[in-house]
Amino acid sequence: MSRDFLAVELAPADGFEPRWRSPLERALRDAPPGIRDLSRTGKLHVHGDVGAPPGVEVVRVAPDRALVLCAAADVERVRGELGERVVDMSAALAGLEVRGERLMRRLADLDLDALPAAGAVAHVPATVLRDGDAFRIFFPQEYADHVGAVVLDAAAGLA
Amino acid sequence: MRLPPSPEERIDRSRTVTFFFEGEPIEAYAGDTIGSALFAAGRRVFSRSFKYHRPRGLLCCSGHCPNCLMQVDGAPSVRVCTAPVREGTRVRSQNVLGSLDRDLLAVVDKVGGPFTPVGFYYRTMIRPRRAWPYYERFLRRVAGLGTIDKHARRSSRFDTEHRRAEVLVIGGGPSGLDAARAAARDGRRVVLVDEGLALDAQLPREDGFETIAPARAIGIYEGGLVPVDAGDVLLRFRAERVVVASGAIEQPLLFPGNDLVGVLLPSAVRRLTRLWSLRPGERAVVITADDRGLAAAEDLRRAGTSVARVVDLRTTQPAQMAARGSHGRVRSVSVDGDSVDCDVLVMSGGSQPAYSLLAQAGARVEYDGTRGIFVPRDLPPHVEAVGSAAGEGARGAAAVPAASYRGTESGGRCFVCICEDVTDKDVKRAIAEGFDSIELAKRYTTVTMGPCQGRLCHLPSIRLYARETRAEEATIGTTTARPPWAPVRLGLLAGRGHEPAKRTSLHHRHKELGAQMMWTGEWRRPHSYGDVAAEVRAVHEGVGVIDVSTLGKLLVSGPDAVSFLERLYPNRFGDLKPGRIRYAVLGTDAGRIMDDGTIGRLSERDFYVTTTSTGAETVLAWFEWWNAVWGYDVSVDNVTGALAALNVAGPRSRALLARLTELDVSPDGFGYLDAREARVAGVPCLLLRIGFVGELGYELHFPSPYAEYLWDTLLERGADAGIRPFGLEPQRILRLEKAHVIVGQDTDSESNALDANMSWLVKFDKDDFVGKWALEHVRERGPRERLVGFEMANGTVPPEGGQIVVDGLPAGRVTSARWSDAVGKAIGLAWVPPALADEDSRIEIRVDGRLEPALVRLRPFFDPDDERLRA
Repeated sequence: MSRDFLAVELAPADGFEPRWRSPLERALRDAPPGIRDLSRTGKLHVHGDVGAPPGVEVVRVAPDRALVLCAAADVERVRGELGERVVDMSAALAGLEVRGERLMRRLADLDLDALPAAGAVAHVPATVLRDGDAFRIFFPQEYADHVGAVVLDAAAGLA
Repeated sequence: MRLPPSPEERIDRSRTVTFFFEGEPIEAYAGDTIGSALFAAGRRVFSRSFKYHRPRGLLCCSGHCPNCLMQVDGAPSVRVCTAPVREGTRVRSQNVLGSLDRDLLAVVDKVGGPFTPVGFYYRTMIRPRRAWPYYERFLRRVAGLGTIDKHARRSSRFDTEHRRAEVLVIGGGPSGLDAARAAARDGRRVVLVDEGLALDAQLPREDGFETIAPARAIGIYEGGLVPVDAGDVLLRFRAERVVVASGAIEQPLLFPGNDLVGVLLPSAVRRLTRLWSLRPGERAVVITADDRGLAAAEDLRRAGTSVARVVDLRTTQPAQMAARGSHGRVRSVSVDGDSVDCDVLVMSGGSQPAYSLLAQAGARVEYDGTRGIFVPRDLPPHVEAVGSAAGEGARGAAAVPAASYRGTESGGRCFVCICEDVTDKDVKRAIAEGFDSIELAKRYTTVTMGPCQGRLCHLPSIRLYARETRAEEATIGTTTARPPWAPVRLGLLAGRGHEPAKRTSLHHRHKELGAQMMWTGEWRRPHSYGDVAAEVRAVHEGVGVIDVSTLGKLLVSGPDAVSFLERLYPNRFGDLKPGRIRYAVLGTDAGRIMDDGTIGRLSERDFYVTTTSTGAETVLAWFEWWNAVWGYDVSVDNVTGALAALNVAGPRSRALLARLTELDVSPDGFGYLDAREARVAGVPCLLLRIGFVGELGYELHFPSPYAEYLWDTLLERGADAGIRPFGLEPQRILRLEKAHVIVGQDTDSESNALDANMSWLVKFDKDDFVGKWALEHVRERGPRERLVGFEMANGTVPPEGGQIVVDGLPAGRVTSARWSDAVGKAIGLAWVPPALADEDSRIEIRVDGRLEPALVRLRPFFDPDDERLRA
């Protein structure tokens, strides 16, 4: 057997049309501008050393493990290119983007000048990346309601 | 009445603010504090003391002492001397019975002395014992300060913010500012926090660094963590270097009557006259051990208060001093028998470096005999002290003559600690009783344990101790400094009320279906959807579906996967064929049961391991730890959240599944304990044919984003078969009918697999596995107790945890018990002595004090031969 049951991006089969739903869809329904759902990003866990194929981002989350981010459509290709020790974690992690250092400081005890890094966001384990004023946060999807609520609440406190 | 306007004053006379004191409106100017406005309105008594209910007035005006604690908008124990006035604020006195000016509990001061000596609560009000409830109610009413509204809701919003700085400067006095400027010039990222500034000197605006005020550092913790109370935001600073410039604190003098209303420290005079243009009184006496008192005399003269006498203790050594008052207000001061009338008495016993934050950070505190103060030494590497906090320029009351500690003979109480109403007599008595270590004496007398946290009483109490025990201050040492350095609102520490909870991808579907949710570990799960019996029936007779996404799910892959698992588990896996599943129990080194689950072999080198819902993280850590020890070529991935999981169970589950998949689901094509990969309703699934609930059933594991889709599809396509979702409670009944064990419910941290009747899975012929040695011992010594099933003779459901009683003595315990409609009996699992672990053994279980008979059962209560399960 393979591990295809972990694959989120699938070709339709048997006449069924499975509907993908983001774990953050409900939590971010009333989100203010600047907060975006990134849950559909492709996310792969890779053990050992990683060469970065084109079009992907590699975040080292532990000495022997990396999180590889890519477009949803590229997951299958990237998985093939990265070899054997890869697990598709696209469904395991929810992702969101927030804007503003102040908001981020209310969510996490992280050195915002030393990102990407792994650490707690809203008290749950997360990986955080920074692009200027925007922060991307990836965390276990079972906390999506909680993290969504904390982010919206923190944003409301700064509004 | 205010003095004529001055350029220095902090009030804006063009803007008035109205607030309420005890319901009466009080007019204040913008820039006033509640304390200054009340003083301007003529109020002199601000509080009643903790124990004796003596009137107390403004003393320090700097937010140090306990004399101006009031309830402000419901918040207890607010220091009004530094709390800015706000429009409409409601202020009330606290710790009084009656009013501030007429407090009925002041009777304690008149008659209570002999009855309430230090430590009285350890000795009196104990007998007769049955009267304690009345004593307690009385003591609770009179003890303490403000009152907390137990029904209050969150009054304001408190947030937490994580900040970083290369250099954090605590205190914005001249030394703090210099340190901040210097560090900023060196190109460091500097932040300066200061408590009060709004009151003292306006901080200059600096470009080189950031200033936060009013903000108070409440502690220095490991790793340069400094929480700062900035009002409604708790700033959790992490700083590479912390510079403490917390200054020095003015010290009182010890003499009878030193707590009377009208006795002031120099800072109070400075602030009242300069910031708020108030005249402290008509006629003053100053007794001082340093220049601060002389400066206060100058301030008083400028404000129009006549200074009747100045006693400089550096040049005069009076043998006796005492203040006398009436109605708690100072009326005269006598020095060596020479009495002077006054309504203001300024005392200055020198100043003590505010070293508490430094001591918390790990600094040693040492007595400097030449200056009569404690100074911080041996600072930890990332912390430094500057200015008076470091002892610079601070001068204690080395010059204070012995006389100031005597004189109690002349009557009146002499307070060492005004927060807790501890007098010199109390301290002497404690010493006489043998409390000769300062740490013990602190606990007995409670000196330094009040709201000022030792600011005003630490030094005087140690010096009194030294004098009374004829020891050097240096040998007495100090009491331990602990955070918080200043009172902090609990709401600020609590922050926002969010609790991290794990929810499955079907959480909202469950709620839409009316599920009652319950906590299992961090998870929220449906207890049931309202009709437990019907949910059980659906699984027995038709088909039910339960969300089991909370199961821990691990992928174990690599060339050494078999060796790794065989060494971790007592089970064997080498003979498990790809596509097959085995129940497995994970044990500790001591052979105790840690977790359980199923392990499916996906390929030669890939295994799919499930764990209990609450055990996933522990098992993962356990796997990773052993893998690091053994160094196998194996990788372990936690895919718990990646996959949702549904258990579709019941005699009609096969027919339902057949409608949704092309997989051959016939008994021959997909047998019991088989694993298959296939699409179900178009979703790629790992299908496991296992049955915790005991009926024909399948676990579907699939990408969590499709959970709602697949759930909806199953309910829709199974509607004609009567499909029902079922919750945890029906699941617990169903598994109990099969005597299936729940680890953590039916086992505890002492249980092992042999006693729990799982010896069939323990393979002693393997080379080694975790806990093998311990289990061999268990095998040799034989079981101490056994986990068995039981059914009640008369249908009573015993409580879980209920006692098994043999010959009148407890001999075991019930771990699970439920009523089962399918069996028609009350059934359960229990640990019993091995001698009773036989079919039909009679046992007795204590239920509500009675003993109820039950029969031991060693086989499942329902479908004992697993015919339905394997169908």
